[in-house]
Amino acid sequence: MKRILVLSMLALAGLALAQPKVFKGVEAGRAGGNYRVTAISDPRTFNPFVARETSSTDVIGLFLPYLTGYDPYGLKPEGHLAQSWEVRNNGLTVIFKLRQGAKWSDGQPIDADDVIFSATAHADPKVNSNARSSFILDGQPIKWSKVDQYTVRADFPKPYAPALIQSWYIAPEHIFGEAYKAGKIPELWTLETPVNRIISGGPFMLESYSKGERVVLRRNPSYWGVDDKNNPVAYLERYTFTTVSDLNAALAKFLAGESDLYAAANADQVAQILERIRSGGLKGEIFPNADVTTGTNFIVFNWNHKDSDKAKLFRQVKFRRAMAHLMDKKSMIEVALGGLGQPQWSPISIPVKQFFTDDVAKYDYSPQKAAALLAELGFRKKNAQGFLVDATGKVLEFNLVTNQGNNIREKIAQIFAEDARKIGIRVNYRPIDFNELVRQLTQPAADGTRDFDAILIGLTGGIEPAFSRNVWQLNGSLHAWNLGVGGQAPKQVESFEVLIDKLMTQGATTLDPAKRREIYVQFQKVVAENVPLIYTVAPAYNPARNARIGGLFPKGQINSIVGQFPYIETVFAKE
Amino acid sequence: MWNYIARRLLQLIPTFVGATILAFVIIQIAPGDAITRFELDPTVDREQIERLRQQFGLDQPIPAQYAKWLSGVFFHGYLGLSLDYRSDVWSVIRQPILNSMVLVGLSTLLIYLVAIPIGVYSAVRKYSLGDRALTFLAFFGLAIPNFFFALIMLYFAIWVNDHAGMRLLPVGGMTDQFLGGVPRQEAPWIARTLDVLWHSILPVIVVATSGMAGLVRIMRGQMLEVLSQDYVRTARAKGVAESMVVYKHALRNAVIPLVAGIGGLLPGLIGGAGLVEVVMAWPGITPAFLQAVSAIDIYVIMGLITISTFLLIVGNLLSDLLLAWVDPRIRYN
Repeated sequence: MKRILVLSMLALAGLALAQPKVFKGVEAGRAGGNYRVTAISDPRTFNPFVARETSSTDVIGLFLPYLTGYDPYGLKPEGHLAQSWEVRNNGLTVIFKLRQGAKWSDGQPIDADDVIFSATAHADPKVNSNARSSFILDGQPIKWSKVDQYTVRADFPKPYAPALIQSWYIAPEHIFGEAYKAGKIPELWTLETPVNRIISGGPFMLESYSKGERVVLRRNPSYWGVDDKNNPVAYLERYTFTTVSDLNAALAKFLAGESDLYAAANADQVAQILERIRSGGLKGEIFPNADVTTGTNFIVFNWNHKDSDKAKLFRQVKFRRAMAHLMDKKSMIEVALGGLGQPQWSPISIPVKQFFTDDVAKYDYSPQKAAALLAELGFRKKNAQGFLVDATGKVLEFNLVTNQGNNIREKIAQIFAEDARKIGIRVNYRPIDFNELVRQLTQPAADGTRDFDAILIGLTGGIEPAFSRNVWQLNGSLHAWNLGVGGQAPKQVESFEVLIDKLMTQGATTLDPAKRREIYVQFQKVVAENVPLIYTVAPAYNPARNARIGGLFPKGQINSIVGQFPYIETVFAKE
Repeated sequence: MWNYIARRLLQLIPTFVGATILAFVIIQIAPGDAITRFELDPTVDREQIERLRQQFGLDQPIPAQYAKWLSGVFFHGYLGLSLDYRSDVWSVIRQPILNSMVLVGLSTLLIYLVAIPIGVYSAVRKYSLGDRALTFLAFFGLAIPNFFFALIMLYFAIWVNDHAGMRLLPVGGMTDQFLGGVPRQEAPWIARTLDVLWHSILPVIVVATSGMAGLVRIMRGQMLEVLSQDYVRTARAKGVAESMVVYKHALRNAVIPLVAGIGGLLPGLIGGAGLVEVVMAWPGITPAFLQAVSAIDIYVIMGLITISTFLLIVGNLLSDLLLAWVDPRIRYN
């Protein structure tokens, strides 16, 4: 009797100590099975301080923990390794409580030392981690310090709205600590490192890697997560990335039933998957047009043009609005996207519901309105070749480039160029090499001028508008239409740009969600009104799945930000 | 003889420097560098980009970069740092080179095993139906582009599997994840070797057919020339059996140029099997090279050029020596 009492007390104490995270899945799952996905590219490293590309971080994210992320159901911050947090000092200080009992796969506890070490290394300019920008706010550092073994504290130089999103990877100090002091972090956890020496603090751990073929991860038995019935997760026994050469090969694998999840890139791929399902060759589902992707495609004009006449013209809001009126977004969706997509009017991606607004200035496709606006700018007559000229006889002409090989952008650019020529604008469209395009866009000459006219390009979008400050703040490195030299604001700025800059700063430093939304709604309105970037169309998100996988969202809950499932931990194989 | 070898090895140096300078300059002429693709990421700050360029030495003048690389190669045998993988080049290219060698080695073997008998047959039965049919097939293999033939073979594999209702032929790739129900890395080495061989069947056929035609024609031509020589007629006149004439007297002399060509295969061994590897998802050197080119991973490109230049020169030397060895008429003194 006594022994039972002691045992149960011990068990209770154990329960009180262990604080697993509860992963709420879509449906009850079962353990076991292999989850197979394709990757277009191999990982480059398993080292979280060196990784720069998603092909590496997609793998690292399965075996290294992070403090907080987005709750997949409500897109609000939720704890991962951090069990809870407390905001103090009007948002200047956040105290994170870590999960007690969380362990690395080698048995060492995951504690404040690991978190503080990782924060220090990520923030170190000598390490130059990709996550470094998470530790600097407008040039001032965010300070991380240890309170006790399971408590850490972050001090922000000013209130910071995304402060509760801390998704940089935490690495084990007992492995990286010495190397960091010796300046040898890049030598650890490379592709050459035997995979059993790479320890895990996440749902999976590396099992094998063969270059150019696959990465296999196996369930981490010491993971700190459970499902809502207190069963250990992840359910899956294995997670396999197969490397394929391109999107077509990835599609072929999915069609052959050799990979489990896929997002069809265009209408043609959607049709192939539908056909395969209909003919019984594949047991699965596809949801065409379930959502819109977060990426953006837009045309940007060069306000720092060498030719001062052109710079002056591009700075005219009437000119840019005329160009916006020439965007036949309906045809672009039909022709470039095969009918699967939506027009985009403002900088925040459509799926980002908490900030997105549809109530912005829109420019319907109207060559007449475009012609009228251009007439107001002095382009009233046409010359013998049918091109618009101003009072001095100068032809309205510009070059439009986009990066070679991106079929969607090439088609959008062609449609725009054709429509513009119809009303007498001489648009010379030409696809060019991506690197050359980046050079023209981001590298001004010493006097601050750049040598392109117009570029059609896209940026990856995300859920957090504050993370796009490099695009919208005056001194941002991607302030693409009007770029300053050497990290300074451009010499000549318009008043709306100053307003955008102010709104971005406010948005990043306002903590109240309702007020934040207001700020970003205004931001979208100002951008749409002044069209520094002329948005085009956003491709649809067309997720497809093999029927053998469970724990996935039903159609109504799918969105392109979270994807097809809430957590990888609660995905399972049905057979 | 040693004198000759030493002279040839000395020639290696200017050839090597010339080839690598040319490659280095051509890569630099292309716009952008390995860091450019990070510049359109809104979450990356300019100072991070600048620091990356400093770390990799990309901010230094091109001659300085080249000199640094060259001294590393000469004095430390260090091929440089892969800018894409952030680890040394040799570790990046070693595995793809070995994977390619499997394919190239097997197909070379197949080519020699098949082409020599066909060449002999075609020569002995000149203008017969068999000669014409085999010649036609060999040229068909030469004429059809490799990548296209590879696609047809993939289609063929799917067709066979669909009809057989089981996986008789692999559809691309080099290995399976599970062998007999256990993960690959836990399977016995014999099973793993057989698995690779099984996966290599189709790509080896594709590579071999394209290389066969040339060798068949050379072999046929050589045989015809030798068979028409006086000593063959003499042998026949002496009443030597026809098979002895063909295989003992004629073939031995006819095969000399082929032996001499073996050295030339050396650089080809690491050069990879070309687009077949891409189409058939064979993790060889061609996909790795294409990836390095598109990422402007300059030192990986340079590393591959270095190794193949070196092997080309060594291979040529080897050919010359082999020729001297098999043909007593040739002397390098």
